[in-house]
Amino acid sequence: MSEPLTGTPAPEAEGEVAVVYAGDYVNKLSGQRIERECLTRIERGCRALVINFRDTELVNSIGVSILLGVIDTAERRGRRVAFTNVSLHTLKLFELLGLTRLVVLAENEEAALATLGEFAAPAGH
Amino acid sequence: MPVKTPKQRRILARTGTETFVGRGEPMREITALGSPRGSQSGLLLFAAPQAGVSELLRQSFDELFRQRGGPAPVYFAFSRTDAANTAAARRFLQTFLTQTVAHRRDDPALVSAMPTLRTLLDLAAPQDYEWVERLIQDFERAQDEGDERALVRLCLGAPQQAAAAGVRTLVMFDDVHLTERLRGEVALAPAAAQAALQSGVPFVLAGPRRRLLDLLNGAAQLVPLEGLRKLHLERLKEPDARTLVDGLAKRLGLRVSDETRDLIVQQLEGSPYLITALLDAAREAGAHLESFRDFQSLYVDELLGGRVQRRYASVLEEVAPSLTLRRGLLRVLYESASGTGGKAPAEAWMKRLGADAVEFERVMRLLHMHELASFHATYVEATPTTTWRDFLRVSYRLQVAASPRALVVADTLVETLKRAPRTMARHYRREAALKLGDVMRGFNFEGVPASLLRPDLYAQKYRGLPREEVQAGLDAEAETLPLPQIVHAASCASFHPPIEQFCDEERCSVAHGFESGEYAEGVEVVWIAAEVESKLEAGRALTGLWLDRLEQVAQACGFERVRFWLVSREGFSAEAAELLNERDAYGSSREQLEHLSARLGGGGAWAREAGGAADEFAIELPMSEDTELIAAHTVEQIARRMEFQPEAINQIKTALVEACINAAEHSLSPERKIYNRFRVEGDKLVITVSSRGLSVPVSLPENGVAHAERQNGDGAKGRRGWGLKLIRTLMDDVEFERVDDGTRLRMTKYLRK
Repeated sequence: MSEPLTGTPAPEAEGEVAVVYAGDYVNKLSGQRIERECLTRIERGCRALVINFRDTELVNSIGVSILLGVIDTAERRGRRVAFTNVSLHTLKLFELLGLTRLVVLAENEEAALATLGEFAAPAGH
Repeated sequence: MPVKTPKQRRILARTGTETFVGRGEPMREITALGSPRGSQSGLLLFAAPQAGVSELLRQSFDELFRQRGGPAPVYFAFSRTDAANTAAARRFLQTFLTQTVAHRRDDPALVSAMPTLRTLLDLAAPQDYEWVERLIQDFERAQDEGDERALVRLCLGAPQQAAAAGVRTLVMFDDVHLTERLRGEVALAPAAAQAALQSGVPFVLAGPRRRLLDLLNGAAQLVPLEGLRKLHLERLKEPDARTLVDGLAKRLGLRVSDETRDLIVQQLEGSPYLITALLDAAREAGAHLESFRDFQSLYVDELLGGRVQRRYASVLEEVAPSLTLRRGLLRVLYESASGTGGKAPAEAWMKRLGADAVEFERVMRLLHMHELASFHATYVEATPTTTWRDFLRVSYRLQVAASPRALVVADTLVETLKRAPRTMARHYRREAALKLGDVMRGFNFEGVPASLLRPDLYAQKYRGLPREEVQAGLDAEAETLPLPQIVHAASCASFHPPIEQFCDEERCSVAHGFESGEYAEGVEVVWIAAEVESKLEAGRALTGLWLDRLEQVAQACGFERVRFWLVSREGFSAEAAELLNERDAYGSSREQLEHLSARLGGGGAWAREAGGAADEFAIELPMSEDTELIAAHTVEQIARRMEFQPEAINQIKTALVEACINAAEHSLSPERKIYNRFRVEGDKLVITVSSRGLSVPVSLPENGVAHAERQNGDGAKGRRGWGLKLIRTLMDDVEFERVDDGTRLRMTKYLRK
């Protein structure tokens, strides 16, 4: 069964980037929890989101559709989204469904935060 | 204007294609006779009673009729209503011309119209007019002359006349045995065979398997039948019989439970005639067959006054027209079938029936042909099929013992209900048997690793090892045992009936063969093999007991050089293995038997079954939150057992989850259930996901559409509907199977190590 989402505030030291943890099964219910958490973070002013899939074994197409909704919303608000700790199988699934072209992919949170930091602080600022 | 042949319209067939099952192969053989490339021109069709041979020929007729461009099919069934040879011959000519003209005109309605010969001449196509007219004129002349031989020859020679005019036909003669009942000086069956052979056109001659050859050969044995293809039509195999019940139930609007269907198949022994009769009776009575009780009530009604009763009663009336003879016959048949008489000397039956030798032989020959009794020169015995035995019991009690009808009905119903679980148990045991006779039939002088027949060696070398290592060890084994060539194998009970006290018929077999290719007396050998029932390793006492039993069989049958072979599913204890060695007997576990069968060329039927048998798992899920995960976890365990790679396991799980989601989202299933089946078929895993309700739409967006559709502003709509696309990408084969209600998706993943 999917774990309850452990949406954790990002390490507050990063300030404007939130990290959200996906459960072991990303389906409709857990997808909606991710969505709610991400939208809350965006509302609170986070300018980037990291979704960590370290516990995720299985993702279904409903879960993917909800992730796409999150990406859409973030994009409309000018926010960036990064996926981290994605297993090989899930990665292939995301590739197949065209998600990987829409997000930053990073091996782990640190790498994601670093990449998003670069986007967030363009040269000259 | 002739009516054009609709694609699937029935012409002579009496059942729809959905209830014509299990006859694909014989039908192909028959229709192939019409092919110009066909190597066979004639076919003898030997039919078991109630096997549906007439329907097979009628279906073949329809198929050939629909295949435009092929030969004109002609179906002709001999009938006792013709009374005389000349009438039968005349009717053949008329049938031949009618069906040929109908085919040439592509006018199926003409087939059942039976026009006069002169009308047929008017209907014949211009290019056929000449030969049809000549044939009719010749016939009228022969009829006026009153020469039976000439008339029969002329009528049966019609296919040859047509062929000479360039008209190809395929003639199917049915019920050849009924020619015996016709008056006249000509032996009609051999005459028909002779005419068919001489004509050079393809033909089929069909009749009861116990009588056909005798009839065709006739007294003089003039017809050379050796070169003809011979086809045997048995009763339906169990899966086909089940399909027939399901198909009929659907067509007739009957509810039949799976358990009852299986009982119907067992009790009626796969007879398409009886199955159809019983289900028709159920429809007429408005009775559904949802329990054993439903079925047995109907069955008893049928035995006492329905189609089953009428069928057997009419055969008995044909066999024994006089009431006195029929009552006597009923008595001896009942006693024989009920086990009190069993096999009896022919003289004893003749005496009890009070018949003279000629009459007795006629009666017995007919019973033998209908397979209601076995009649050999010196003894007779009633055939112990279930329905026939039940019919004899109720008929005897009503007609001979004069028991009250209500009592007969009640007793029969109670008995059949008590018998039902035993019938099914017997079926299950038969299915589970290792079928050693089939294994031995595959012996052909192979040398096999000694440990496959020696439990002590096997335990010492391979106990606890994985299958692959055992396989490798067996491949490398130096000590081999030579197998004989088996030329005949049958159940032990057919040699020595008392063995049935100890085991089911198929669990003990006797196989005759030779130990070398000389076929000489000194190398003759008889293998007697038995399946020992033991949940654990068979112990010394049990093994000894079975060896003693087999020894008794060998002595009773006078077998001189014998080899005993015991098979116990879990093998033999060390002490039992020692005893086997002491008594120079072989022993195997099921595992050893599997290895042995795999090594035999062709392996015997059991090996083929075992090799091809699939492990099947089924799970029924409610359509509710996350239940697809239960299916995913189940399939994960199965895939792991099959040693799929982790990547492939994930793909299978994801595909299954998607299939379950599709079923739940699209089916609108009123019962809200998803049925998953997982079949392990050699190197592949086949998953079937089905649900009742609406069919799932199969056209779905292409790969990567999420991105494209987002760009097109399709938003949320474009984010769904990838399930099937995903499944197709993740699995090797994906197809929707046709079902009447709902959707069944079949997905296959191949094992790639």
